[in-house]
Amino acid sequence: MNNALFGDDIIKILLVFLIGSAALVITQRSLTSLFSIYALQSAILAAIALVLFTREATLSLLFMALLTILSKVVIIPMFLRRLLAVMPIKRDLEFRYLTPISSIMLSAALFFVVYKAFTVFSASLAVGPLFLLGAVIGVSLALMGMLVIMSRRKVVTKIIGYLTMENGVLLFSLFIAEMPFIIEVLIVVDLLMIIVLSAVLAFGIDSSVEAFHKRLSQLGLESED
Amino acid sequence: MDFMIIVGFAALAVVIAAASFLLGRFRPRTDGRLFNSLLIAESVIYLGLAVWLAVSDLPRFLIGNHYLFADTFGAYEILITSVLFLLSAVYSRGYLASLLERGEIERSLLGLFYGSFALLPLVLVMGFLANNIALMWIFAELSTLFSVVLLVTLKARENITAALKYVFVTSTAMLFAFIGVIVLFALSRTAVPGGTLNWTDLMAAASGIPPKLYTFAFVLLFIGFAAKAAIVPFHTWLPTVYVRAPSVVAVISGAVLNLGLYAIIRLYAIGHQVGDDKFLNPLLITFGAISIFVAALALIARTNTKKVIAFSGVEQAGLILVAIGLGSPVALFWALFHKAGNALVKALLFFSAGIFHRQYNSNKFFAIKSPFRLQPLATWGLILGSAAAIGTPTLPVFLAKFNILSVMASQALPLFIAVLAGFLLVAAGFGYFLVRAFSQPDDDSIQPYPTPMAMKAPIVAALLGLFALGLYLPGWLNTTLNTIVSDLGF
Repeated sequence: MNNALFGDDIIKILLVFLIGSAALVITQRSLTSLFSIYALQSAILAAIALVLFTREATLSLLFMALLTILSKVVIIPMFLRRLLAVMPIKRDLEFRYLTPISSIMLSAALFFVVYKAFTVFSASLAVGPLFLLGAVIGVSLALMGMLVIMSRRKVVTKIIGYLTMENGVLLFSLFIAEMPFIIEVLIVVDLLMIIVLSAVLAFGIDSSVEAFHKRLSQLGLESED
Repeated sequence: MDFMIIVGFAALAVVIAAASFLLGRFRPRTDGRLFNSLLIAESVIYLGLAVWLAVSDLPRFLIGNHYLFADTFGAYEILITSVLFLLSAVYSRGYLASLLERGEIERSLLGLFYGSFALLPLVLVMGFLANNIALMWIFAELSTLFSVVLLVTLKARENITAALKYVFVTSTAMLFAFIGVIVLFALSRTAVPGGTLNWTDLMAAASGIPPKLYTFAFVLLFIGFAAKAAIVPFHTWLPTVYVRAPSVVAVISGAVLNLGLYAIIRLYAIGHQVGDDKFLNPLLITFGAISIFVAALALIARTNTKKVIAFSGVEQAGLILVAIGLGSPVALFWALFHKAGNALVKALLFFSAGIFHRQYNSNKFFAIKSPFRLQPLATWGLILGSAAAIGTPTLPVFLAKFNILSVMASQALPLFIAVLAGFLLVAAGFGYFLVRAFSQPDDDSIQPYPTPMAMKAPIVAALLGLFALGLYLPGWLNTTLNTIVSDLGF
């Protein structure tokens, strides 16, 4: 019993860190830091999955944690850093519609809306005690990611926003016990494909068409001709 | 045996895609016509499989865990997709040759293009066969992926921008649908022990799901699939993509829109069983009516042929949504009928616009000079296609619009008047565009683009299909549509 309570506390602390990382994604201007924050955020997500695994012993949680570490803490940030090496920009200074401060204030407001919606929802469902917290923070994280997509101009930053959204959705799914396993795997694989694709496209937007096609070929998608 | 039909669809597409990709990679000098012959062969077999599926015993589960199943609705959509696929595969024989000749696509990327083209119909078919909502989500996402590859292989910077817009708008919306999938799963546990995402199980257990909570899941799922179906305000990617996409890709994208609408109809059917009509009907009608209006207003000022067609697509999607929202079996019947008619209209318009683009190297109306002398077939295709799109009698869109409007008039007169006004605006927009396009001064110095047979045949086929469907509703089609309506629980 004590153990379970201890686990609850750890999860709550980690959830707060997650929100902090999302706020950093909204305000951070340097691209390298953005990638590091994203990797950190994913690591926190994996840690939450692991803590949940020690309590519930569902294999899919362990699998999710390992997959998150492999893909989002290692592969995707590495891929993005390599992308940055060939790109002429290092910082994303432009904001549209919303300044970072107003984004943060808006996300705080969104937080309350999501909380209201999910209190109604979870009251009538038989779900675990942590469900409400996980759901609210997960969906808020997704909405904060969307704010990043909306308020940033550079495609690379938009990708980070999209990835943050995806982390939020994943966090939400962690707190629903016994999700069908195969679906989780397929969804993760699919999201991975989308991310790689956005990255490939990100090459194109900041370079000429010829250079884009040349880079396509470097990725092995096109033959040398 | 049931499993074999999936293998038939999947293996064929994968083999042909792999062959195209490898040929493109290791034999970049391969003749484009070889790729195209493979694609046409695939599309013919797809049509055969689709017909076979449609006439077989339905509904039935295709794999043990009930993740995939075929019912009349799915088979009908697959049939429409296969027809579009066949038409665009034939058309691409001439079109791609012309793109290559003018250096608009690199020879080395031809394999990638045809490979993705071979896989796109597969993911669409699997989407229509998916019984599991999460699986449907996955195939809808994959359809985005392959469409994007088809877009970026063309050699223009704008294509990359268009593709990015497409990915960001639809994938962001689809993440909301993902939240919806999870919510729906959590919800299903109140009715089914252990929870389920299978459509058939949800339909059967619908009475145990609280309507208010279903609303919550539906709204989230709706955001995602409405973006795929180009419903306002998630339609912003459609005009950008349609302008940049080659006509063949645009036609097959019509099937992607269909997948979005298909998912919405399936989810609405569950909502209907749950007893959530009171909320869902006004929601769908609002979004549908707004789509019709925004499309109508946007259409009037357009100077680009493909943009006109794109906004007409938004309008048709809006019409289907309104028809579903009316919640009457008759309206649903005609909405389903409209899917077939609309697919043919879009194909006809895009094929004609494609020939114009080859002739004048531009999609703008002011480039069109002496069209009747240079491209008589495409000109008539555009005129008749526009006439069909606005709902001229003797063509199928008229039947759909007329019948849906009459249901509307009996249910809600103000809505009827508003939607009718929207349709008139659309008609005005099309008319204004055609008058401007075909009243440009003649220019006798332009040489005609020798349109190959492969590009003419699909136009003729689409025209014949349209007139046939507009004048005569075959008994089997009537039965099919009625079966779908009753399968959906109306």
